[in-house]
Amino acid sequence: MSEQTSLTYARVNEDVIRMLDKPTVKWLALFVPTLGVVGFGLFCFLYQVYTGLGVAGYRHPVFWGVYITDFVFWVGIAHSGTLISAVLFLFRANFRMSIYRIAEGMTVFAVLTAGLFPIIHLGRPWFFYWLFPYPNQRELWVNFKSPLLWDVFAVSTYLTVSSVFFFVGMIPDIAAIRDKVTEKPRKILYSILSLGWKGSNWEWLHYTRAYLFFAAFATPLVLSVHSVVSWDFAMANLPGWHTTIFAPYFVAGAIFSGLGMVITLTVPIRKIFSLEDYITLDNYDGMAKLIIVTSLIVGYAYGVEFFMAWYSSNPAEWGQFYYRATGEYALFYWIMIVCNVVIPLPLWFKSVRRNIKALFIISIFINIGMWFERFNIIVISLSRGFDPASWGIYKVSWVEIGITLGSFAWFFMFFLIFIKTLPAISIAEMKEILPVPKKEAKGHE
Amino acid sequence: MSQDKKGGIKRRDFLKIIGVAGGTAAVTGGCSEPVEQLIPYVIPPEGIIPGVPNWYASTCRECPAGCGILVKNREGRAIKIEGNPNHPVNKGASCAQGQAILQGLYNPDRTRSPLLTNDLGRRQPTGWENAQKVLAAKIDEVRKKGQNGRIVFLSDNVTGAFGALIDDWMEAIGGVHISYETYAYEPLKEANKRTFGIDKIPTYNIDKAKYLLSFGADFMETWLSPTLYTKQFSEMHSFRDGSMGKFVQVEPRASMTGVNADEWVSIIPGTEGILALGIANIIVSEGFSQKGAELSSVLRDYPIDKVSEATGVPTDTIRQIAQDFSSMQPSLAIGGGTAMTGTNATETQVAVNILNYVSGNIGETIDFAHTLSISDASPFSEMLSLIDSMANGGVDILMIYNVNPVFTLPKSTGFEDAISKVPFVVSFSSFMDETTEKAKLIMPDNTTLESWGDFIPGPGIHGLIQPSMTPVFNTKSTGDVILGVTANIEDLKERYKETATFYDYLRESWKTAYSSVAGLGFDSFWNKALENGGYYSDVPPVQVSLSAGLSGAALPEAAFSGDGDYFFVAYPSYKYYDGRGANKPWLQELPDALSTGVWDSWVEIHPDTASNLGVKLGDYVVIESPRGSIETQVYPYPGTRPDTVAVMIGQGHTSYGRYAKDRGVNPVSILPLATDKLSGGFAWLSSKVKLTKTGKHAQFVQTQYTTHQHDRGIAQEVTLTEMQKGLPPVDHELPGFYPPKEYARYRWGMAIDLQKCTGCGACVTACYAENNIPFVGKELVAKRRDMAWIKIERYFEKSDNKAGFETRFLPMMCQQCGNAPCEPVCPVYATYHNPEGLNGMIYNRCVGTRYCSNNCSYSVRKFNWFQYKFPEPLNWQLNPDVTVRSMGVMEKCTFCVQRINFAKDQAKDKGRDVLDGEVQVACAQACGSDAIVFGNLKDPESKASKLSKDNRGYKVLHSLNTQSSITYLKKVKWDKA
Repeated sequence: MSEQTSLTYARVNEDVIRMLDKPTVKWLALFVPTLGVVGFGLFCFLYQVYTGLGVAGYRHPVFWGVYITDFVFWVGIAHSGTLISAVLFLFRANFRMSIYRIAEGMTVFAVLTAGLFPIIHLGRPWFFYWLFPYPNQRELWVNFKSPLLWDVFAVSTYLTVSSVFFFVGMIPDIAAIRDKVTEKPRKILYSILSLGWKGSNWEWLHYTRAYLFFAAFATPLVLSVHSVVSWDFAMANLPGWHTTIFAPYFVAGAIFSGLGMVITLTVPIRKIFSLEDYITLDNYDGMAKLIIVTSLIVGYAYGVEFFMAWYSSNPAEWGQFYYRATGEYALFYWIMIVCNVVIPLPLWFKSVRRNIKALFIISIFINIGMWFERFNIIVISLSRGFDPASWGIYKVSWVEIGITLGSFAWFFMFFLIFIKTLPAISIAEMKEILPVPKKEAKGHE
Repeated sequence: MSQDKKGGIKRRDFLKIIGVAGGTAAVTGGCSEPVEQLIPYVIPPEGIIPGVPNWYASTCRECPAGCGILVKNREGRAIKIEGNPNHPVNKGASCAQGQAILQGLYNPDRTRSPLLTNDLGRRQPTGWENAQKVLAAKIDEVRKKGQNGRIVFLSDNVTGAFGALIDDWMEAIGGVHISYETYAYEPLKEANKRTFGIDKIPTYNIDKAKYLLSFGADFMETWLSPTLYTKQFSEMHSFRDGSMGKFVQVEPRASMTGVNADEWVSIIPGTEGILALGIANIIVSEGFSQKGAELSSVLRDYPIDKVSEATGVPTDTIRQIAQDFSSMQPSLAIGGGTAMTGTNATETQVAVNILNYVSGNIGETIDFAHTLSISDASPFSEMLSLIDSMANGGVDILMIYNVNPVFTLPKSTGFEDAISKVPFVVSFSSFMDETTEKAKLIMPDNTTLESWGDFIPGPGIHGLIQPSMTPVFNTKSTGDVILGVTANIEDLKERYKETATFYDYLRESWKTAYSSVAGLGFDSFWNKALENGGYYSDVPPVQVSLSAGLSGAALPEAAFSGDGDYFFVAYPSYKYYDGRGANKPWLQELPDALSTGVWDSWVEIHPDTASNLGVKLGDYVVIESPRGSIETQVYPYPGTRPDTVAVMIGQGHTSYGRYAKDRGVNPVSILPLATDKLSGGFAWLSSKVKLTKTGKHAQFVQTQYTTHQHDRGIAQEVTLTEMQKGLPPVDHELPGFYPPKEYARYRWGMAIDLQKCTGCGACVTACYAENNIPFVGKELVAKRRDMAWIKIERYFEKSDNKAGFETRFLPMMCQQCGNAPCEPVCPVYATYHNPEGLNGMIYNRCVGTRYCSNNCSYSVRKFNWFQYKFPEPLNWQLNPDVTVRSMGVMEKCTFCVQRINFAKDQAKDKGRDVLDGEVQVACAQACGSDAIVFGNLKDPESKASKLSKDNRGYKVLHSLNTQSSITYLKKVKWDKA
C-alpha cells in the first residue's frame, strides 16, 4: 500500500475489532434466514436418507449430478484462499494483505461445505467412514487405486492444512482482541485461542518462520488438491472425462472461481463495514488481473477439448463434444462459455477493473459460469457415454436444489459467524504495510 | 486349491474379540435392526433338503402352444420356470410369458377364496363347500326346466382329461361346452380343408426350409407355437458351412418377426393372397417348378404387373421372391398375422397353400401328421350364436373358464351386454378380470403350478401338468370343483364315484388312454411321464394331395369398413398374448422389442405420416373407427406403412388387478364385427381409422431413447458375401500396460450370436426371475431406473434395402471384463476381480458412490435408488440363493454366480471340474434361439470357448481393451440375390 493513507496502527486495531461488536439488526437479518435455509437443506438431506437417493434427479446413466457439481464447485472456491494467503505471501504480493484473512476463512468454510457432498451423494451415507483406511477386525481395507480415495486424502489434508494456516495467521490478532475486550466470556475465549501470545521479539521471530513454513507447505496443495479432484474424472475412461488436460484446467478453474467468490464476498463486507481504506481498488485491480489470466486458461482449455475431440476422430469423443454444444444441455454449455470467457473480457480495461459495481456483477457471473462448467463436465459427459442405448437425460430434483441452497447457506452461516467473532482483516499484517508510527505515537510495542 | 489352514486369528484373539463384540452388541442391541429368526426344520418334510432345489416337470398353459416346463422348487415354493429339454415343442427354451407364470401364481391380486355375490349385490367370501352347493343347486334348478343347452361352459381349448371331464359333465347336466380361443386360426384350417381336404392346422418345419416366405405370420411372437418356431428359425437362419437360409416377411407392419427377416416386404393390407398367387404364377409360367401346371388357368389371372399394382410390391421384388422361392429348395410359405385376419383370409391362405404346392413343399416343410389341437377350438360362429342366445335369455348358467371374452371380444359383438342378461355367471378365474367382474359366483382355480392336469398340443405330445407346490391361496382346481359339484347333485352323485379327486380322474383317464403303451406297469409309465413332463410318441406321416376343384378359387378383395385414411392393425402381443399377460409386472416391464416401450400402449405410425399429422413421439392422438375411439401416444416407427397404423393388443384392462388396470388402451374394443367370409373367423384387420391430433403430450416411457448406433460399432454385421469369401481370424488380445490376468481353471464367458438373437426378451424376464430383480413401475422406468441386468439393445440402422432400415438386436449385460473399468474406481473394493474372471459385486460392502457405473463403458450397472418392494406374496418367488439388494447399493449381472457355485459344489462332490453345459446361466437357458452360449473359456473344448474364437467374433468397444469375456458374433446380412 504505497499510496497515501489515513490509516494508523491504532485505527487498524479499532476498525477491525469494531467489526466484532454485538450483532446488529442487519447482521441478524442476514443470519437468521441463513440458518433457516441451512435447516431446509438438512431436512432435504434427511428426507433423502430416509427415502433413498432416488429422490434426487439421477437417471441412468447419469449417476453423478448436482451433488458432485457442488463438491467440485466448493473445492474450487476453496482454492483462491490458499492461493491469496500462501502463494501471494511467498511472492510478497502486498495486495493480498487486506483480503487474505477473508480468503482464508472462505477456504476453510468452502472445504467444510465441499466435504459434505461426497457424503450426501452416497447411496448409504451412514457408512461414509468405510472410505477411511482404519484398522478393523474384518480385515477390510480401502482401494488405493480409486481416485475417490485420493479425494478423501486430498480434501482432508486440505482441510487440516488450511485450518491450521488460517488459525496460525490469526494468533497475533486474537491476542490483540483479547487485550481489547472486557467481557469475561469473550476474554476467556480469546485468551485460549491466542495461545498466550505476548508479542515478544522471540515469539515474532519464530512466528514469522513458522508462517513462512506453512505458506510453503500449503502452496503445493493449491495445485495438488484440485488436480486430485480433477482425476476423479480424468482417471475414468468416459468420453469428456478421460483427458490429460484436466489437472491444470481444473486448477486454473478453481483459482478463477475462487477469485470470483472473494470479490463477491468482499464487496459487500467492504461496504457494510466501511473498509474502503483497507480493501482498496488496487487490491481489486490485482485480483481482476488474475481473473483475466485464469479466464484465458479456462477458455483455452474449452477450445483444446473441442479441438482434440475433433482431431482424434473418435466418434465417442467427438460425439460428446458436439453434443455439449448442440444437444439438450446446450443452454448450460453456452451459459458456461459466456460467463467464463466472454463476460470477464471487459476486465482488460483498467476502468472496469477499478469499478466495484462492475467487478461485483462480473464475479457473480463467474460463480454461475463455474458452477455450470462442473455441471457440464459431469452431467453431459455421463449422459452420453460409449453405448448409445444407455443414453439418458438428467433432471434436477427439488431435493438437490434444496441441498445446494442449504450448502450456500451453510457456507454463509460460517462466514457470518466468522466476521462477528474473528478478525476478518489481519491486524498484524496490515500494519506491516502501513507507515511506521512516529515515536510519540505510543500503543505499539 | 486347498483351504488355507493358517492365517485368520488365534483362539485367544478370537475370544477377546467375541468378548468385546458381544458386550458392544449387548449395549447397542436395543436400537439395531429387528432380529430375524431362522427356524430350522426339526422334522424336515419328506423330499426336501434345504438348499437343494426340487424340479417338477409340467406343461405351460399361458398360450395354446403347450411347451414343457420345469419348475424349480426351493423349500416348498416354486421360484423359477425353465423350459423342459425333453419336451418336443420347446426343447428346453422358454419365452417371457412362460418365465412369468410365477407372477400369475404369486400375483397379489389373485382371488383368494370363493366369492359369492349376495342379494345386496356385494361379493362375499364363502367356503368351498357352500360354493359348490350353491352351484349344484343352480344347476339342479336349470335341469328341472328340462331344456338342454341352457348351461354353457365357456373355456379355452382344453384337451386331455380335463377336456374330457368338461364334455362328459356337460353331457350329464345337459349343457354345452364351447372352446373359445382368441386366436383360433380358423382361416388356416378352412384353407387346408379347401386345398387338401384336411380340416386341421399342421406343423411347419421351418428348420428344414432354406427359404422362408412368411405372409404376416408372427411366428416368433404368438403364431401357433412361437418358441418352437423361434428355435426352428434359429436353426434355419444360422450361418453354417458357408450358407444360411433366407427369410422374407410380407406384412404391412414389420412385427418383431418381420424385423428379423432378411427382407421385409411392405404390402397393402388384404392383398397378400394376390402376391402369393402372383409369385405362384411366375413359378408355374416360367417353369421354375414342375408342379402346378393344372393351376395355370387360375394363376394366369395374376400377371406380375397387375399384382404389383394391387399389392404395392415392386415387380423386381416379386420376381426375386419367385426365383428364390423355387430355387432355394426346400422352401416354405406360411401365412398368419395380418394375412390371416382380413375378410378374405381363407382365400389368402389358400393362395399361400397353392404357392407351397407349386413349389413342392407339401409334405416337405409342412407336416400334416402333427396337426395342432387348437384346430379343435369352437368356431367363432358358435361364439356369435352364444352371444345371441345369451342376449335372448337362452342361457341360464354361464361358466367361464380361463377365458376373458369381455376383454378379448370387440364391443361390437355385444358380449358384454349379453352376459349381463345371463342370470347366473360362474367364473373359475383366479384373477378378477373383466369377465369375472360379471360373475355371481367366483370359484378361483388353481394356477398351472398348483394343479394336476394334462395338455395335448398335438398328436404325439401328451404333456402332463403336475403341481409344484401347495396352493398359495384358498383356491381349488376346477377339475376338483366339477367333481365336488357333481357330488352335490342328487341324481349324478354316483357319476364320478370312482374318482374322488381330479388327480384320480386324470390317472384313470391316462390309464385308459395309454394302456397299450403302458402295458401292465402303469405306475412306472406314469412316474416316467411325470419325470419327463409327459409322454411323447412318434406319429406316422400323413400324405396330402391337392383337392380337386381348386381351380375355381377366386380371390375377393378384402373389405374394410370406416372412412378413415389408415388401415388399422391390432396385433397380438408376445408379452400379453390376448391380454392375459398384462397383470404380470415382469411382462409389463419387459421393454417391447421394437419401441422399447413399457407399461403402456402406443400407436405405431410411419414417421412421414406422423409429420404429416404434425405429431411426434409421445404426442397423443385419437384413433377413431366406426365403432368407437381410443386415445394413445404416438410411436413413429419406420416399419409401418404410411397408410397403416398399429396398436398392440393386451393393454387397456378395466379390471384384472393393480398391474393391468387402467393401463394403455385396448384396440380390440373399437373393432367392428367383421368375419372372414369363408371360415367365419373373426377379422381383426377390417377397418380404416381416422387419426386426430389432440395436442396433448407426455414422455413416451421407453428404455432406449436412441435408434442409431452413432458409429459406435456396438451391434456389428458382416455380409454373406464376405462370410463366404472367408473372414480373417481374429485376435481379441490388445497390448496392455499391466501383465495379462491369469485364471487357473475357469474363466466364465459367453458367446452371443447376433445372427440368432430375435429380441424376444425371454432372457430379460428369466434374469428378473433368477436374480430377484425388482420391477419398478412406469414412473421409475420413465426416469431410466429400471433394474434389468440384461437388456436388449435395438438399433434401426440405415440400410440400402427397400425398407430403408434394418434392425439389429444386441443383448447387453455385464461383460465381466478382464480389465474392468469398474473395479479400480471403487474406493471400498465392493467390486473386485475374482479368480474365475467375474467382476464380483459385494452388496454389503457397497457404500454407493456409483463411480463404477460412471466408469462402466457398457452402462450395465444398476443402482438401488429406493428400497424396492415385492408385494406379498410376490416375494415368495425370490430366489433364496440370491441376495435381495437393499437401498443405496449397486448391482449388476453376476453371470448367475449362484448357479456357478452350485455347479462347482456338485462337481467337487464328484471330484472333478465343472463340465461344459453343467452350468447354465438363466438368460442362456431361456434363450429360444440359442443365441447366448455360456461356458468356461479356459476349457478349449467348451462350446462358448469355440464360438469365442469364431471369425465372426468381436468384442463390443474393443478399442477400450476391457478384455470382456463376452464375444459377440456379427450378424450376417443377406446381401446376395
